[in-house]
Amino acid sequence: MITIYLICANGASTSMLAEKMKAAAAEQGIDAAIAAYPDSSLPSLIDQADVILLGPQIGFKKKKLQDKFSDKKAVIESVNSVDYGMMDGARVLKYSLELVNTTIKRRM
Amino acid sequence: MDLERVVIGIVVNGGEGKSKAMEAIAAAREGRIEEAEALLEQSDECIKKAHNVHGDYLTLESKGRESLLTIMMVHAQDHMMSAITVRDLAEEFVLMYKERRN
Repeated sequence: MITIYLICANGASTSMLAEKMKAAAAEQGIDAAIAAYPDSSLPSLIDQADVILLGPQIGFKKKKLQDKFSDKKAVIESVNSVDYGMMDGARVLKYSLELVNTTIKRRM
Repeated sequence: MDLERVVIGIVVNGGEGKSKAMEAIAAAREGRIEEAEALLEQSDECIKKAHNVHGDYLTLESKGRESLLTIMMVHAQDHMMSAITVRDLAEEFVLMYKERRN
């Protein structure tokens, strides 16, 4: 199973995207746990996560968060703002899966 | 114009505008002044887009369409105000770093 957390300033708009991603995962038969949280929850979530996706509104924190959690397995990236704007759950899900695959390859 | 599109249009564009403004401050702090100024311009573009969505919605309301006051709309407004404030301050920060280097 893959665990994806969407993170933004207070987890409101990302929760809309999380719902769309859940629907896309169910449709494609992908076993994924997807949820949205505010960035303040990140320290308590990071250990369970495979992918952390940042909303465009906190994209500027990416570098800091990547450095802070560099010893964790989770990949931290920002969501493409066009996909976010279109609330394209399927594309963001695909992107998450690609992130996991490339990270695994990098570590092998 | 559905509510979700309005909220997302404001949150995403406003949010990205704020993000660019914060990146501009970071760039200026590291002495990359030209990059900082370019980021401020990009920030303006994003905020302008958020403004347009916001404006379209306001126009509809002023023409008599009844609006739903939802917490999501308040949230969107919150994002936009924060983006504009940060953008305005970021310009001052960039100037400050620029002057300090001269």
